[in-house]
Amino acid sequence: MKLNFKYLIAAGIVGIVAFNSCSKKIDEAYSNPNAAIEQPIEQIFPSLIGSLTGSSSAAGSAYGQCGDALLIGRYIQSWGSYVASSTDNFGGFYDKMAGVVGASDNMGSMWAAHYYGMGQNLNRVIEWGMRDQKWDFVGAAWALRAWTLFECTNQYGEMILKEAFNTNLQQFHYDSQEEIYDSVRIICRRAVNFLSMTGGGMDPTKFAASDFYFNKGSLDRWKKFAYGILARSYAYISNKASYSADSVVKYCNLSLSTNDDNATAKFQSTGITGTSNYYGTARGNVNNSTSGTAIRQTAFIADLMSGANTLAFPGVGDPRAWYLLRGNLYGTIRGFSPSWSTAINPPLIDSLKPESFVGTPYATVGYTGVGVLVPGVLTTNGTAGKYIFRDEAEFPIMTASEIAFLKAEALVRKGDYAGAKTAYVNGIGLNFDMLKTKYNVNIPAGKAIDDAVRDAYLSNPVVVPVTPTAANMTLTKVMLQKYIAMYAWGVHDTWADMRRYHYSDPDPATSQQVYAGFKVPSGVDLNSLTGNNNGKLVYRTRPRYNSEYLYNIPALTLIGAYPVGNDYHTKECWFSKP
Amino acid sequence: MRKILRLLVALSMIILVLPPALQAQQRTLTGTVVSEDDKTPLAGVTVRVKGTRRITQTDANGHFSIQVNAGETLEFSHVGYAPQSAKADGNTVGISLKASDNTMGEVVVTAMDIKRNSRELGYSAQRVGGKEIAETQRENFLNSLQGRVAGITITPTSGQAGASSQVVLRGFNSMTGGNQPLFVIDGIILDNTTINETSNGGSGIGLASDLPNRNNDYTNRIGDLNPADIETITVLKGPEATALYGSQASAGAIVITTKKAATGPGAVKIGVSYDNSFRLIDVSSRIAPLNNEFGIGSNGVGTSSFSATSGTFFGPRYPAGTKRFDNIHNFFQTGKAQTHNLSMDIGFKNVGFKVSGSFFDEAGVVPGNNYTKYNLRITNTTKITKWLDISPSFQYINSTNDKPLRSAGGYLLGLYIWPNNVDIRNYTDADGNKVSVFSSDPYSEIDNPLYNVHQNVSHDKNKRMIFSGGININPFSWLSISGRFGYDTYSADGYTFYSPLSYLTSRAQNGGFGRLTNYWRDYKGYNHTITATAKKDIGKFSGRLMVGQMWQDYRTEVFSITGTNLVDSIGTLPSNFNKLYKNGQIVTDANFEQTVGAKTDSNITRPNTRVRLARNKFGLPNVLNIRQNAYFGEVGISYNNLAFLSYTHRFEEASVFPKQNRKFDYPGMSASVILSDIFPALKKGNVISYWKLRGSRAETARYPDAYKNQSVFVDNFTSSAVGSIYSYGFDNNNPDLRPERQKTYEIGTELRLFNSRLSFDLAYYNTLCTDQIVNQFRASYATGYVLNTQNAASIKNQGVELVTDVVPVQRANFAWNIRFNFAHMWSKVLTLPDAIAYEMYIADTWLYQNARGGMVRGMPATTITGFHYLRNTRGQIIISPTTGLPIQEQTFTVIGDRMPDFTLGTLNNIRYKNWNLSFLWDLKVGGDVWDATDQYLTWQGKSQRTADREKPRVIQGVLQDGKENTATPTANTIVVVPYYQQAYYTGMPEEEFIEHNVNYLRLRDLTLSYTFPARSLSRLGWLKSLALFVTGNDLIVWSNYRGADPTANGNTAGSNGVGGMGMDYGSLPTPRAVNFGLRANFR
Repeated sequence: MKLNFKYLIAAGIVGIVAFNSCSKKIDEAYSNPNAAIEQPIEQIFPSLIGSLTGSSSAAGSAYGQCGDALLIGRYIQSWGSYVASSTDNFGGFYDKMAGVVGASDNMGSMWAAHYYGMGQNLNRVIEWGMRDQKWDFVGAAWALRAWTLFECTNQYGEMILKEAFNTNLQQFHYDSQEEIYDSVRIICRRAVNFLSMTGGGMDPTKFAASDFYFNKGSLDRWKKFAYGILARSYAYISNKASYSADSVVKYCNLSLSTNDDNATAKFQSTGITGTSNYYGTARGNVNNSTSGTAIRQTAFIADLMSGANTLAFPGVGDPRAWYLLRGNLYGTIRGFSPSWSTAINPPLIDSLKPESFVGTPYATVGYTGVGVLVPGVLTTNGTAGKYIFRDEAEFPIMTASEIAFLKAEALVRKGDYAGAKTAYVNGIGLNFDMLKTKYNVNIPAGKAIDDAVRDAYLSNPVVVPVTPTAANMTLTKVMLQKYIAMYAWGVHDTWADMRRYHYSDPDPATSQQVYAGFKVPSGVDLNSLTGNNNGKLVYRTRPRYNSEYLYNIPALTLIGAYPVGNDYHTKECWFSKP
Repeated sequence: MRKILRLLVALSMIILVLPPALQAQQRTLTGTVVSEDDKTPLAGVTVRVKGTRRITQTDANGHFSIQVNAGETLEFSHVGYAPQSAKADGNTVGISLKASDNTMGEVVVTAMDIKRNSRELGYSAQRVGGKEIAETQRENFLNSLQGRVAGITITPTSGQAGASSQVVLRGFNSMTGGNQPLFVIDGIILDNTTINETSNGGSGIGLASDLPNRNNDYTNRIGDLNPADIETITVLKGPEATALYGSQASAGAIVITTKKAATGPGAVKIGVSYDNSFRLIDVSSRIAPLNNEFGIGSNGVGTSSFSATSGTFFGPRYPAGTKRFDNIHNFFQTGKAQTHNLSMDIGFKNVGFKVSGSFFDEAGVVPGNNYTKYNLRITNTTKITKWLDISPSFQYINSTNDKPLRSAGGYLLGLYIWPNNVDIRNYTDADGNKVSVFSSDPYSEIDNPLYNVHQNVSHDKNKRMIFSGGININPFSWLSISGRFGYDTYSADGYTFYSPLSYLTSRAQNGGFGRLTNYWRDYKGYNHTITATAKKDIGKFSGRLMVGQMWQDYRTEVFSITGTNLVDSIGTLPSNFNKLYKNGQIVTDANFEQTVGAKTDSNITRPNTRVRLARNKFGLPNVLNIRQNAYFGEVGISYNNLAFLSYTHRFEEASVFPKQNRKFDYPGMSASVILSDIFPALKKGNVISYWKLRGSRAETARYPDAYKNQSVFVDNFTSSAVGSIYSYGFDNNNPDLRPERQKTYEIGTELRLFNSRLSFDLAYYNTLCTDQIVNQFRASYATGYVLNTQNAASIKNQGVELVTDVVPVQRANFAWNIRFNFAHMWSKVLTLPDAIAYEMYIADTWLYQNARGGMVRGMPATTITGFHYLRNTRGQIIISPTTGLPIQEQTFTVIGDRMPDFTLGTLNNIRYKNWNLSFLWDLKVGGDVWDATDQYLTWQGKSQRTADREKPRVIQGVLQDGKENTATPTANTIVVVPYYQQAYYTGMPEEEFIEHNVNYLRLRDLTLSYTFPARSLSRLGWLKSLALFVTGNDLIVWSNYRGADPTANGNTAGSNGVGGMGMDYGSLPTPRAVNFGLRANFR
């Protein structure tokens, strides 16, 4: 009897051990209960849209194209410095095409957007979208991946492609831009394939809600956006033997054709910075009136649009100028000279200096009093932005107008001047229409555009040749009109264009610079501060400091980006080389 | 407090009036003790009547006499001989003792509560008796282990009451994880957490204020135990010993056995004992001297602003006759503490109970620092049948701790730089508003330290219950099954309150208008271990097979909230400066509760300033839950009690890993041979009594923190038409994390000479940790994240330990034992993540300016990295030709190593008649300390370094003139007078404040006790024994350290990796203390 009891207890204990469903209990304790390790992709996707321009999250903000564009915009002389600071990485520094130096994350916003801001978030949208057969999300995510990859490689050159997003690596090798271009094209086609799929777990209402602030759920527009990236990719290798104008035209024809197709980032503008346009007043990136980072329009764009450029559209006042640019005390449109030596760029007198993009007068004192007397001058003092410089303004990522100019350029190169003219006129007209409908805000009285104004401009033979020929349907016209149509928002792609023309390449039709009137810095004006250009123009930016220059040095060394001070930013990218 | 005293007195009275037990008829018994080998008389043999306090020793002729009652048993013991006992029949007795190596009866409690003979062990396991620990009177028993165990490093955070202590066995094996050993009490695992304030932006289980473990301290929870309950502590240092406990014990284990009631025929029916201790504590005499000769100003010109940013006291000398105040003494108080322990044993044939209670209360040397602890413990041992016994126990602990803020912004640095022509005692006005030195703006000057300790208050309360159960079943002679079940739970809550007028909450720092952080923390830990052991002897071989299972489930839940703006505004005009307003009313100290609310209530902060932990926002606690299941086994074979071999294997499954990496296993093996028994010839000549060789090798694994492999989403604030949206946080919580691997081997020998009067235990160990999980290191964003956690580093750790016991005197009335605990360890960082070009550091240790606990490949894990002097290729300091001052190189490079060359604890125990004297000297030689306190004081002009500032001098070095790296550098000849050029001090780099090779010799504990002879107590029949004692703690510290206390720690024990050991920044020195009290046993 006693012995049986012993067995019973022994067996009981063995039983406790055996019947403990330990593995299950262990699995239950695995997941992090404090924060979600999975969220619906519907609620992740909007964050990707935020990263197109400038992200805003509890773990890092301002990743996107806008931050870098503020600096790159100086390379292409869209704007220049308000204060000619003598400090590295500020103001006049980039006006002189300098590269980033020291422990600075300048020019690293796109890098961060691609690898981190969108990064794994985008991977999860694809992964979980595939699992749930939400092809719309998957396709759109691939299109966004193609976009950041393409914009990044044009900015940085070689990038981490094959080893990217491997969470187990500590060092990452760079891949060539040629491979990245190939990848971009593959990804674009993959995106189109997914966007063309139907059925599965797709719910158009849900996708439309997530995509509300970009393409509003239109798969057709997403496809056109992907084709647009393909068009850009074929257009940007214009110096190569492998360049095919037909390929450009083909993808342009598949891409955005009307302003309704425009891929624009939109903003809820609830008053907090995250929901506001990066260039609006709430985020305060362009309305800082006095710091070294404050910007004003340059003479190049002002002259181009006011008719002061003697080489391009001379004497033609562009009606769009009052939409894109800002006036001064005398109600005229003039631009800052970049912070160069005054011998080359004599400074404007103070009263001719333009107000900021959000209406900050050049000098507050004495301005308002005089200014109010002058018609057409806004005295809004930094609160009234126009164009894309508003909290709620749509920020174009790609427009039908841009695609028309890509086509026009290809057709000029092909020798189809009539076709080129059609595309060219279409490009200008689309831009007029976009401004007229989307950006008709804070325009001085009497300066508004209507169809008659547009048509008058388009019928000006200085702008549009009546009979297109090789001599008058020039790359100069196309590229400069494209420059205007992409002003302020298309900084990355305009820079790619200008680099294709090496800033000062001549137009075969005119033997003058394609970018007529664009002053190319040299001598002391080519970054006299640290001399890190070594006499050469800027052709890329260095990768993000706090990612690569601290933690990926061996790989940087291999591509020649390290040690610092070796003018890596002047190294021409593969895409613009023959 | 008073109630407790009254209760104790009442209890004592009850005990006093209990009828004295009847005295039995005693007679005198005499006898002789000889050695069995050569029949020579043995002197100094202890003769004791079993179960009584009657004791005597043999004289030079081996004779003794003692009072006995009929039926009593005599016990004979002597160093080097096997103990013996004999019935006290007749009037004379002749005993012959057999020489022994003293190992036969030595039982060591090892992993899994398994008792093993020390001969068998293939690894080192050092024991400390509970009496020895209790005798030090240290309320956190961990602090008594320093110097008593070779290879243990205890670093208390500060000299404050209730401070946490970092405990590390054999060096630091984990660079960014935990290094503290496992604590096992009677076979169950107990929690020893020190709150880690870091919450990683609210996703972890730290505080909502997400702090770096510097300014506040929380007792490490093992300090809850009542030292008086401890029977023995066995320290299992290497993972060889703990291969069976697995990953949690990869940093070793501290195995504690508690006192239990005795059962059986000889057990006392009822016994009561009481002891107490009253302590006086002083710290002010330990404060390093300051330079108090110069007033506020800069470069010799006086000013009247006391901002306490760099360079405060560089004004002119105080004029003769300036009134001075002894602020140091006016600040500190004499600390007082008292302990009362009462315990009762009730024993019957098969059932025994032990009830013990303890009360401890300390008012520390810093005003406002109070620590109180109540312990109650009930244990039972019941032998149900011959083959079944159980031992349940219950413990309740209640502790509270009021603690002032330390380190940066703490009272100590404030006290050090308080102008000593200003009386520190004048710190508030009638309304409780802060009184500053010069400025009427409360935020422009640092807080008066008295204001700081009284107005910026922090409080913790902890209630803990520990249930444990043991069951032993021996159904057959060859089989034993045992189970140990433990449930350990506590709830803690606390707050930290910053006064709205405190400099620490000024607009520029820490949020404005006061801050209140509250937390509430609940821990529930369950674990059980079930083992079955079978034994079989075949001829001279003995075999043992053990299999077992262990289940662990630990869950911590935390709520925490922090907020600012306790008041609406603070007056700014000169007329109402310092006045606080809330809802239009002026707030004073007196009406604070009415106008603002209780200082403990998180509702007093402004709602939109409140920050909570991630899940707290939804009314749920943040949770950390770790579960682990393990199966293990051990095979042991021994031959003739001479040679022992054992092999263990453990299979684990842990919840912190994803499924594919969740299961892992590792082996361990050990061997021991008794050379002196294998070759008995060795024992000839009576030199070698015992010689054992041992070796062991084991692998184990280490865990990361839970959830380190799951990246989490955080709020995204972009435009959304779908409500809340999310994107990933900074952390790459890598889904592929694997357990870290640790491989260790140890070899050692034990040698006893001259009848064990001299014995040595020598060990060498070597630990290699690979695949180390490095938390939150930065790498390329190409991982998709900013911070990364990966298996990405490795480290090697080695050391030598030598324990030496000497018995110089062993006589009837005079005995003297000495133990030496020597340890020397060294480590080398083998690899770091590839992304780290040079140095990896623990963020918590970046305490002040530009030095931190940085680790570099090829260097020890304990290095300090920081800024240093620019030197030429020959190592000469480069001097600026314009200032005549050295030029700093502002990169983090190795500037010191905190690991000592060696440590040596020397423990003496001297008994003379009824007097007993024991004392422990703790010697540390080598190891660098970053005296950041001195750096702060130097930059402020308060350090003794700045005393001779009027003296012109030329700094030895070479000028930076282009020739500094040539064969003929230009020697510096520029004369500087620091009095006019304070940059001489304020430009000194961190390198200057690394004190190299800091040694100390510290008299840790000294106890003198007197036990009243049984004769003198015989009139008081109810009193079995009575002893009086006086104990001193840290009475003497001799050191070449410039600062106050070389054992400083810049962080709490909650910090990871090496932590803040060897970093002295505003840490209160260890005070000296004297305790006195009595110990009494009642019948």
